[in-house]
Amino acid sequence: MRNSADTRRSGLPLQPRAAAIALLSVAVVLVLVFLGSSGLQWFDAALAGYLIGVLMAVFAVVYRYLVWLQRPPTAMLNRRGWESFRRRGRLARNVGGLVGLATTNLLAQGFIRRRATSRWAAHQLVFWGCALAAVVTFPLTFGWLHFESVGQDGSEYRAYLFGVGTSSFQATSAVGFLVFHLLNVAAFLVIAGVLIFLYRRMRDPGALAVERSGDFLALAGLFAVSVTGLFLTASTLWLEGRFYSFLTNLHALTVILGLLYIPFGKLFHIFQRPANLGVHYYRSDGETGDQQACRRCEEPYASSRQIADLCEVLGQVGFDYGDGTGGIFQQICPSCRRKMVTVAQAARVGGFG
Amino acid sequence: MSHLISDRVFVIDQSRCIGCEACVQACEECGTHRGQSLIHLEYIDRAMSTQTAPMVCMHCEDPTCAEVCPADAIKQNENGVVQSALKPRCIGCSNCVLACPFGVPKYFSRPDQMMKCDMCYDRSSVGLKPMCASVCPSQALWFGTLDEFGATREGALIFELRFGNQAVPTKVGTVVHDISAGPINVTVPVPGLWQEDPFGLEAAVP
Repeated sequence: MRNSADTRRSGLPLQPRAAAIALLSVAVVLVLVFLGSSGLQWFDAALAGYLIGVLMAVFAVVYRYLVWLQRPPTAMLNRRGWESFRRRGRLARNVGGLVGLATTNLLAQGFIRRRATSRWAAHQLVFWGCALAAVVTFPLTFGWLHFESVGQDGSEYRAYLFGVGTSSFQATSAVGFLVFHLLNVAAFLVIAGVLIFLYRRMRDPGALAVERSGDFLALAGLFAVSVTGLFLTASTLWLEGRFYSFLTNLHALTVILGLLYIPFGKLFHIFQRPANLGVHYYRSDGETGDQQACRRCEEPYASSRQIADLCEVLGQVGFDYGDGTGGIFQQICPSCRRKMVTVAQAARVGGFG
Repeated sequence: MSHLISDRVFVIDQSRCIGCEACVQACEECGTHRGQSLIHLEYIDRAMSTQTAPMVCMHCEDPTCAEVCPADAIKQNENGVVQSALKPRCIGCSNCVLACPFGVPKYFSRPDQMMKCDMCYDRSSVGLKPMCASVCPSQALWFGTLDEFGATREGALIFELRFGNQAVPTKVGTVVHDISAGPINVTVPVPGLWQEDPFGLEAAVP
């Protein structure tokens, strides 16, 4: 067995540095809320519950992210990714390519489409639905965005961003309809995506076999937030505002629980996935650098940099694959490793056959 | 400590492999990774021998692949089966591919993901044989109860291999005929060139 790296990693139950930065992040959000809402002038007290949910989520997301970055392999990748990105002679090209890379990987998510079109469609619907909802609700909650009626009859409204008036629109116009129903649009996008995800999962015995409660919990949470949001519109349009107060609280509860779920559940991949960009630069750097030759077959099989980094990380997490002569087993290519295991096993049964 | 999954054990005896590739084809049919064959099968030294080397995930007790994953994407379930990378988390860095002492994880560039053998968890979790074991004609890959193994197979099962200084306990059992010799030591050179007596015929002569 490897040496217990867990004992090395353990210590205080709460990591002070990560907690301090997380608290600082909360403070930054509060300052931005104060400044953006003209000294809380436009802060809507009815949305205070959402703000508290956001602040708790900010603390937990930043804290978990920083703790995650401390894992030896994550810390190594984080360091190398940035080094590769900033490498002299490559920085300009890397910066130039970043927009395209982020667009394809993080926004268009082409890597999901290459797995399955329906999975990609579902993910895009949920992603853009959530993004749209975030763009509307966060500024509203923070008091950065508010609407005022132009004149007294409520037929025309003007949107104010950071207290600065923007263009006005007729409440009954197409623009007005869209503005007032943006969150409903977001809800329909999310619900459509969730239903496709559910349909795929329920029809896929393989996916069900490796299913964990968190997978369904994330879908259930997204569905609950979207449906309870739509209930508010339904109450306004078709029930003359009945149950509105109850539905408001119900919706707020689902949103706040959803925000609190983000740092702990499946949705944390929103923050982890961008590390893929670092991998891209690390890999490109590795491809142009020295290649590691297998100690057995002498064929190159990976970048020397990655193998060296990996050997360092293996030691940090408590493994010792050293052969006593300075060599490490991972300096042998995966193909030769498989062959060596077979030869060693065959020797223990009296040869092949 | 039990090595059972629903009272069954996955067994590998590489020496019995005849290289028919039935496992490679069957692996693609697994419900958890349909269309992708994740088993490895290759010639040990094509110029010298027809002997092939099959390799499935050994489901290490303390998986090296999971420990070196920067995204924390590889999880071991309650039955000790090391699952394929969690799709939302895997960032395609290939650390696991390069760290696994058995050379098991595969990186697929199109979806930018690692995938690995998960012992056909949709099947093995309910007592069915993994796809490869269900078609292997030479029983190099085998799945059943320990009683069945004792009644139908030669040798004993060992659940630990050594790679240099590192002992690697596994959930998958490897067949040996000399269990008293301890774990299989992969990095200690096999006495004599195996190519000179690949089937152990000369060694068997008194």
